[in-house]
Amino acid sequence: MYAPVIAAVADAAEPHPHPIVVRGISKRFGSTAALTDVSLSGRAGSIHAITGENGAGKSTLMKLLAGVHRPDAGQIVVNGRPTILHGPMEARRAGISTVFQELTVLPNLTVGENLMLGREPRRFGLLDRKRMLDEAHAVLALIGIELDPRRACDTLSVGEQQLVEIAKGVSADASVFIFDEPTAALNRKEVDKLEALLHELKAQQKLVFYISHRLDEIFRLCDTVTVLKDGRWVATEPARALDTDQLITLMVGRPLQALFPPRRPEADGGIALDVRSLTPTRGAAPLSFKLRTGEIVGLGGLEGQGQREIVRSLAGVLRPQASDIWKADAGGTQQRFDPATGVVKAVAQGVGLIPEDRKLEGLYLELPIADNIGLGRLRGLGLWRKAPRDWVAIERSAERMQLHARDLKQEVGALSGGNQQKVMLGRWLAAGVDTLLVEQPTRGVDVGAKAEIYALLREFVDNGGTILAVSSDLLELIGLCDRILMVRGGAIVGDVPAASATEESLLALALAEALPILEVAA
Amino acid sequence: MKSTRSGVTPYTIGLPILLFSVLAVAVPNFLDVQNLTNISAQITALLIVTLGQMVVALVAGIDLSVGAVVSLAACIVATQPNPLVGILLALALGLSVGLVNGLGVALAGIHPLVMTLSSMTFLQGVAYLVLPIPGGKVAPILGEMANGSLWGLPHPLLWCALCAVLVALLLHRSRLGLHIFAVGANPHSANLNGVRAWGVVVAAYVVCSLLAVVAGIYLAARVSSGDPTMGASFSLESLTAVALGGVQLTGGIGSIFGVVTGALSLGLITNGINLFGLSPFLRGTVTGALLLTAVCLQRRKAVGL
Repeated sequence: MYAPVIAAVADAAEPHPHPIVVRGISKRFGSTAALTDVSLSGRAGSIHAITGENGAGKSTLMKLLAGVHRPDAGQIVVNGRPTILHGPMEARRAGISTVFQELTVLPNLTVGENLMLGREPRRFGLLDRKRMLDEAHAVLALIGIELDPRRACDTLSVGEQQLVEIAKGVSADASVFIFDEPTAALNRKEVDKLEALLHELKAQQKLVFYISHRLDEIFRLCDTVTVLKDGRWVATEPARALDTDQLITLMVGRPLQALFPPRRPEADGGIALDVRSLTPTRGAAPLSFKLRTGEIVGLGGLEGQGQREIVRSLAGVLRPQASDIWKADAGGTQQRFDPATGVVKAVAQGVGLIPEDRKLEGLYLELPIADNIGLGRLRGLGLWRKAPRDWVAIERSAERMQLHARDLKQEVGALSGGNQQKVMLGRWLAAGVDTLLVEQPTRGVDVGAKAEIYALLREFVDNGGTILAVSSDLLELIGLCDRILMVRGGAIVGDVPAASATEESLLALALAEALPILEVAA
Repeated sequence: MKSTRSGVTPYTIGLPILLFSVLAVAVPNFLDVQNLTNISAQITALLIVTLGQMVVALVAGIDLSVGAVVSLAACIVATQPNPLVGILLALALGLSVGLVNGLGVALAGIHPLVMTLSSMTFLQGVAYLVLPIPGGKVAPILGEMANGSLWGLPHPLLWCALCAVLVALLLHRSRLGLHIFAVGANPHSANLNGVRAWGVVVAAYVVCSLLAVVAGIYLAARVSSGDPTMGASFSLESLTAVALGGVQLTGGIGSIFGVVTGALSLGLITNGINLFGLSPFLRGTVTGALLLTAVCLQRRKAVGL
């Protein structure tokens, strides 16, 4: 029942020549179209790259194949049979094994239990713990991971968890394997191991979908490349027929510059925020950096390296362990700024946060636009005061934001992601904030609105503001910011002028260990 | 091997030992066989209910209806002339209550507190309808099963051991058990790994209600009558015992050993209050304070952080 390891399934029946065919598939989440009419076919015995910018729909497409979401329209044909995948379990049964981008390793189970979860060997209806351990051993040995299967997973590093995740996916008895950006947390040696595994799967006539936006990996590893953009299919080409420039043009679809507003040649304003020392969390190393008036500073790095903690502790959302920060007030004199006193005080001193999850942490979705913006002006009023609607300020703010809405009474929840983000910006404008901390400025925002938001952020700093922006999208950081601070392991490991930064140079800083890969590619 | 998953800490083990030592020193006849038998009989029902509460807590749930299920099961057994019919009816009751609670939580998305508070109130009402005042009659064979002894071991101890072994088998030797831990740590991840999370949650509530029924049958048999309020205190006491036993109320961490120590601690406290001649109403006060203390101590180490 459980052909557990790769070797065991090598002699499986003749595989279907096209294990996966996707026809005209579409998927919407609320008001945003994640995928529109995408068709695709994967050949057995090939590694098929799915690539595109962030938000192109790569992960959504894979989640449809993995049974996590159901398509709104279109058809998925698995091994020649049109199939409706009602859940991850059915996708596995249909022979599709997925290594998800988000780690699904369960911290309270052991390595072995995680590997076998969902396909546990049984004897007389009970778990066969001995066989479970043996099979886990076999899987780990085959893949060449030196981990004790009895170890609890909450003692593993992120990289080790990713290896377990990969081992789990690879050891499934499947004909289709999906890897969604599997190398994010891996070092050079582990990446090599993974690539050897992928070649082995290919040799066994499996179909491998490999999602990545790292071009060097795609060219080194993959046979076919499918490019998605804004949820639509752009091209499917043999990797051999493309070079890097052509692929980038396909992915971006237009010159990158058009999306971003021009930077000011030299941001030479005074120091707006002088972070002499900031210890975001207990045990973290103290950080120091400076933000100048008129400049957008980016905070980049791999996911979860401490960027979020830095921004949140500056905003007063997360009380920093220790801080010595000075902020220029309206008159230009430096004032002590202590985020540990909380959000209300931080806002009073002119520092506002635009959170990553604006629906949960930023907006009142059931309230009209006007109230959402007007809230920025209510601070400092006593609770017994009637809340004034300062229509002049609200309208001015909404106008500057170029909101696409019927009128200011419309519920914020009904707006698109881009317009919601503009409402967030509008609130801080109305509140008279001069320093904005922005998490993922354009997450969930479609491309058209992205350019508008970039322009608004630029306008904000041109009018004497300062922005610190966190983004997991390196291209966005390069295009939007004046300077980029790269973060790794909670420390700032680089301060790069955006004008001279490249995706490769930033990734090298973010990864450090994986540097050799990039040199090979260059 | 699974020390992080068990949630057992020096405190969970230390508390019952401390209580036992204090009572043994301070109360002259505490160590009498008669008193120890009493304690084990008193703890049995609580322990059985607590085992079920733990299974629900492992999937990050909470079941406040166990007390009412205990009462209603006892009333059913006490009003049915045929003991076998009574037991079967009570078990059917447990099955349906567990299904309703579980489906309400897992599929309808009702918060476990609200769901089980509703079913608790409903079932308490039904218990009063079945047996308005304490009384009824329980077949002598059941009484023997609850009060007798085998090879010198009091029967209540056997009830405890049997239930603990069954739950241990479920948690550590069955697929469902592994899935319960997985869903408790992260239902979304478990789902992506091919575990049908909602089914696991429903199963946990069913197991919990069935164990509450067993406790109800035991109690009715022990005092050979039914009482529509006899289980009322178990809802919160089982929760307290679960928390004292190191089970994370956020799910994914807990062990039978821990739960036994938790139930033992509560039982010893009750016994101590009796032996010292203190007001029995002190019991509620102590339970509440302990629950708060235990939950405060564990909040900081949620699974996966």
